[in-house]
Amino acid sequence: MKRNPFAYYGKKLAVFFLSVLVLSAAVFFVAQLAPTDPLLAYYGERTEKMSVEEKAQARARLGLDAPVGVQYLRWLENAARGEFGISYQYKQSVTTVIGKRIGNTLILGGLGFVLTFVGSLLLGVLCAWKEDSLLDKLLCRLGTVMSAIPEFWLSLVLILIFCVRLRWLPSSGAYSVGKAKDLADRAVHLILPLVVVILGHLWYYAYLIRNRLLEEVRADYVLLCKSKGLSKRQILFGHCLRNTLPTYISLMAISVPHILGGTYIVETVFSYPGVGTLSYEAARMADYNMLMVLSMLTGVTVIFCNLLGQIINERIDPRIRAEEEREVARNG
Amino acid sequence: MDDFTMVGIRPAEQRPPVRRARRQRPWLALVVLGLLVAGCLAAPLIAPGDPGYLDLLNTSKAPCSQFPFGTDAMGRDLFRCIWHGGRVSLFIGFFATLLSTVIAVVYGSASGIAAPWVDSGMMRLTEILLSVPDLLVVLFLQAIWGKASPVSISVIIGVTGWYSISKVVRTQVRQLRASEYVVASKAMGGGFLHILRQHLAPNFLSSIMFMVVMNVRLAIACESTLSFLGMGLPLETVSWGSMLSLAERALMTNAWWVILIPGGFLVALLLCLTEVGNWLRQSASKVESNL
Repeated sequence: MKRNPFAYYGKKLAVFFLSVLVLSAAVFFVAQLAPTDPLLAYYGERTEKMSVEEKAQARARLGLDAPVGVQYLRWLENAARGEFGISYQYKQSVTTVIGKRIGNTLILGGLGFVLTFVGSLLLGVLCAWKEDSLLDKLLCRLGTVMSAIPEFWLSLVLILIFCVRLRWLPSSGAYSVGKAKDLADRAVHLILPLVVVILGHLWYYAYLIRNRLLEEVRADYVLLCKSKGLSKRQILFGHCLRNTLPTYISLMAISVPHILGGTYIVETVFSYPGVGTLSYEAARMADYNMLMVLSMLTGVTVIFCNLLGQIINERIDPRIRAEEEREVARNG
Repeated sequence: MDDFTMVGIRPAEQRPPVRRARRQRPWLALVVLGLLVAGCLAAPLIAPGDPGYLDLLNTSKAPCSQFPFGTDAMGRDLFRCIWHGGRVSLFIGFFATLLSTVIAVVYGSASGIAAPWVDSGMMRLTEILLSVPDLLVVLFLQAIWGKASPVSISVIIGVTGWYSISKVVRTQVRQLRASEYVVASKAMGGGFLHILRQHLAPNFLSSIMFMVVMNVRLAIACESTLSFLGMGLPLETVSWGSMLSLAERALMTNAWWVILIPGGFLVALLLCLTEVGNWLRQSASKVESNL
């Protein structure tokens, strides 16, 4: 007896929309508690010279005088139409400002994610293959040390070495002035931020793979494979790795937001014009509309990736599916 | 006489005994950690004077005999700042962890003891919270809180850092709650807090110890990142993180010591805590590989 796939995905979809709604409300109301005056973001220095009446007028014009609940509903209504208001700071539509920057973050985060994924898999398998060897111990030590280094400091040290001392690489931005279309120039600017994003996450996942594999090679079926005459490589790649992959893939889906969070810090250190620097500015300047959309963007990614991870975990791994079906059969 | 008795019982092959590799006590990490903590506690003795004192005649001096760690762009003596600032970093680490541990223990035990539907709801909540990148939440909360102080940062890090510990506590409590002594205590009218303190806590403390140590590490790293970004402690409040917020300027003047010295201390502290934490975890059982 199989579960109805429509009900399954429908339920997941409902959970997704409900979470997004709750998130938007939470962010909106919490953001209102901020002591920073949004007028300051809009008018800058001029705010201090404005009279009380002028301030009230400005508030009314920006819709800031209504009760929070009304403001939220208004925001929700506009958001449903795809209008997210203007950024107080940039005086442009929020979507335009974000649209210009999001590509940069996607390149950095996407490349970082793929390289972390592949790199940690390779490292993990290598360590499991050579368990307790000098190489394994060395890599594990290195991983422990690397995991203790905060990302921002690693960025600083790399900038100090490669930009200030050796002058090999540029220290900030996504491209040199006037070279926005030059791919080689962009690639050179990407090297250091990318290295930091990867090094910040590589070890954790590699270590995880290693430990899962080490558990797996202690299972009884490995003995059976060995008595069948399979080679070490065949067992490790054909059986053990295959068994760990579903867990790993679902974990990687969940890791997307964490790598994203790391990207934000790296972007700020390298003044890389991405969404990370933007959200940092928005938080500082109390640019509500911007902050709202950015938090929602991050939140939606988080929620989506988690659900994806769950679905992969529950659907792809045949062992879990089989267990589920057995349970359904038992319960009728 | 059948075949079986003729052949006799062949003893099942014994697996080699489980080799429990007790990890050696990490002496080096413990000693370095002890030195760092002692140095920070004794800061007024090692480096007397106000760490915030701006010596405008000696700005951005490289390490020399007068200033063993050099001075920063504002003329502060880094040697003094390290020891005094370490107190703030350590305070945040321990206070935030204390807070998160208390929340985690209470929440986890409550969830473990509660009815199944309450329990699953509470655990679902931690899973949602766990999936959001901590640093973003902390950044967001700090932006809302406004002016940062060591206490405000500790509170914010504390209230966002208890999820994973509470899950472990809950699992343990769930196993313990049916045991005779808990039932007996309940029957004699023991309240929730009494049972928690007398019967549950001693049982799960050892299994959360390593997470607690790791939380100290996370809190210190989080504070330094926040302060570096300019969202944490202001420059006047000397901590290892806020010292590093001058790093951008130091990069321009090629003042490596402003970056490497506070950062080196920070990384050393974090590394020692990691080592101690890993040792506490004692890498469970070590079974021979079948491969």
